[in-house]
This record gives sequence, C-alpha cells and structure tokens, in this order.
Amino acid sequence: MNQDLTRRTVLAVLAGGAVFLVKKANGQIVWQVNAARCINSRLGDAGVEACNLCTTECVVALSAVRAVNEYSKCGRCNICPAYFNITSAVNELGQPSEKLCPRDAIARKPIGKVDPEDPANNFYEYIIDEEKCDGCGKCVIKCKEPLGLGSITLRVRYDKCVNCNRCSISRACPQNALMQLPIDQAL
Amino acid sequence: MQYRHVQVIDGKGALRGIAVDGDGQLYAAGDSEIKVLGLNVRWPTSRPAHAVAVASDGAVYAGEIGQIEIFDGAGKLRNTWRDEKLLGRVTAIGFTKDSVLAGDAADRAIRRFDRGGKFLNNIGKDNPVNGLLIPNGVVDFGVDAADTIYAANPGKHRVERYTPDGKLLGHIGRFDGIDPAGFTGCCNPTNVAIRDGIYTTEKAGPRVKAYDFSGKLLAVIATDVFDANCKNMDIAVGSHGRVYVVDTVKAAIFVFERVKA
Repeated sequence: MNQDLTRRTVLAVLAGGAVFLVKKANGQIVWQVNAARCINSRLGDAGVEACNLCTTECVVALSAVRAVNEYSKCGRCNICPAYFNITSAVNELGQPSEKLCPRDAIARKPIGKVDPEDPANNFYEYIIDEEKCDGCGKCVIKCKEPLGLGSITLRVRYDKCVNCNRCSISRACPQNALMQLPIDQAL
Repeated sequence: MQYRHVQVIDGKGALRGIAVDGDGQLYAAGDSEIKVLGLNVRWPTSRPAHAVAVASDGAVYAGEIGQIEIFDGAGKLRNTWRDEKLLGRVTAIGFTKDSVLAGDAADRAIRRFDRGGKFLNNIGKDNPVNGLLIPNGVVDFGVDAADTIYAANPGKHRVERYTPDGKLLGHIGRFDGIDPAGFTGCCNPTNVAIRDGIYTTEKAGPRVKAYDFSGKLLAVIATDVFDANCKNMDIAVGSHGRVYVVDTVKAAIFVFERVKA
C-alpha cells in the first residue's frame, strides 16, 4: 500500500510538472513581480535607495519590467513625489524644478476643473511611457506609503519578456520577488 | 521659539485621534473606545473611533464611520447622529459657538451641523477649485476663538481659513522640499490644531511645526522622534502650550513643551 502511494505521488508530481512545462511552452505560465515582496513597493521600508536589479539583470536590452501606475489608487497629487524630485529647488510655479525619472518616462496632464487663481495647483493624471521606462524602480519607491499611496508598482510585460526558464532577475532578486504564475492569475 | 520632548504615553492597538478639554485633560480615540488618559477611564464606542473632541459643556464626541456618538464625561451615551452619506468617515470634530463641525474623509469635506444634529452646510467641498485635496484619508481642522475654521489642505500644501458658512478667507503655507517653512512631500500638512497659533503635522518624514496666524514659522517642534512610517498624526495643544502628537505606528502620544527663553 505504501509502495502504491509512493508510486502515485511520484506520478502525480511528474504529471504536474509535465502540465506546467506544456503551459509554459504555450506561454500560459509567466514571470511576474510580487509587489508584496518587492523592496521598492513593500510597506515599512522607509529611507532606502531604489533597487534597480529589474533594470540591470534582465536579459532583454530594455528590461521587460515596467513601472505601472494603478489609476484608481493614485492620489493625482500636484506635487507627486514619483514625478518630481521633491527635494530640488522650488521654481517660479512653486513646484520642484527637477523631475525624478532619469528617462523622463512619466508625463502628466491636469484633470478636472483648473483653478484660474491657482492654475498650477490641480489634480493630475500621471501616465508612464512604457517605451521609455526601464523599470528602475525610482518612482515606485517614492510612491509607496507613507510618502505616496503605493499606486505605482513594477510589473513584467509579457509581450517583452522572453520567459526564460530561470529568470535572471529572479536569480538576482534578494527578496525573491519574481514568481511564476499561470497567466490568468498574473497581473 | 524652541520645544523639548518631555514625555511619551505608550499605547496599544490603533490610536487615531486625540483631544484636550478645557481643563487640560487628554482624550484618545482608537480601536473601538475612548480613553481619558491619566484618569484611567475608558468606554467603548459602537464602531472604531477615528476622532474625538470635547465640547465646552463636557460632552465627548466620537467620530466614526457613518456616525458620531455623543457621550457625557463619564462615558454614558447621550446621542448618536447617524448618516452614512454626510458622515462617511469622520476623522475630525470641532465646534463653533453654535455649531458642530465634522471632517468627512470619505467625501473630503467638512460638515456643519447645529447643536441638535441638523445639517447646515458643507465647507471645502467644491473640489478641485477652492476645495480640499485629500489623498491621505483624513480631513483635519481646528477652530479659533473667532469661529474661523483652519482646515489642512495637504494636496495644496496649505492650511486654509474658512468661515462657518464655507467661504474661503485665505490660506497659509506653500510647497517646499528644502525650506522647513514650507510643507514637503506630495501632500502635507495632514493634521492641524489651533490654539495661540497654527500647529501642523506632516508625514514622510514626520514633522511637527508651529506657525503664527500670519503663516510665519515659529518652531520646528519635532522630527526624528517618530517612526519614519507614521502618517496622519493627530495633534492637540493644551492651554499651557503643551503639544500632544500621535505616533500612529508606535500607537504612542509624544508630548512637547515650550522652552522658556
């Protein structure tokens, strides 16, 4: 009986592995960033520098990882700490004079009614240009609580990812934040 | 002007709001109870308490989700004002001579009621023009002796002055990530208290400051004593100038006193 159980267990594991490989070969298993583990978006890590291993370790020339802004979570702030370098000098509009993104990949446009007496002080929609973004994580770490609302996270873009068997970012990631998921469960 | 840190009052669980009554007694709201510190008196609220305020007649008002509960000084429930729309999430309560004000963070507005609980008008409601830009999840304000309401408008890096009927009178404050006279980050100040001046708290990094009514910075009261991740730090000022600030991560109240020249 024990021998039978062991045989069944081995067969089940082999069958599961085979299904996984078939799904992976068909693009149904993908790599994705687990935001709860990513050091750039995990709550409670204040004052650390952004981790950029998603940029430097990906085998694709411009990393397959992108910063993504979840619009429903975004505070639409005027002084967005992911858009501006908020410690730079203040300009004539009363805003920081420098942007944060080294590739200028974040654009914004005012939404709602513009206050004629204070036109620079408004709600804004923030849009990340995925042709420029390389997933360096600088905006992600600035957007997270308590400074921001955590609306920006890093995500693997499946159309750019070559789906390596052992993702090189996952091998380098100290937080083990890259995980394989069925595509219907991934973001 | 300088302040020194004189005391930490440790707590447990969630600590969200504090208030000081006319006798200098400190009240705290959190979890599902109101606590009168120093007297070891506490009583339950029917929902988690987000704010507490003490009226001149000694009635204790607890701000909650969808309602305000009104207790006497011993914790006996006198009345409940329930309105899921007007009192979505009450994160601040204050008083003018003839009305009760409630900060509704769900709708980013201050509600004004008469003393019997009848709704009168909104304050700071017309977003985004002359309204409160609140990404933090709390609306906070204070009221001076002349019934002027000072509301934190963190999205605009201001403390705005309103009349009780909702007219915007002006503001103090501006964004600045370097000069401590300004408010830094995406959205500060988050909380405000009024006594002999304007007292504010900011998040990321946590900072407590005092301004005069013209907006001149008088003192940076504290910065590095708080947990770096705390935000929406409620603030209250006693009649003797004692400043009480909530550390929302440590669930503690930090007490500061002015250093005499």
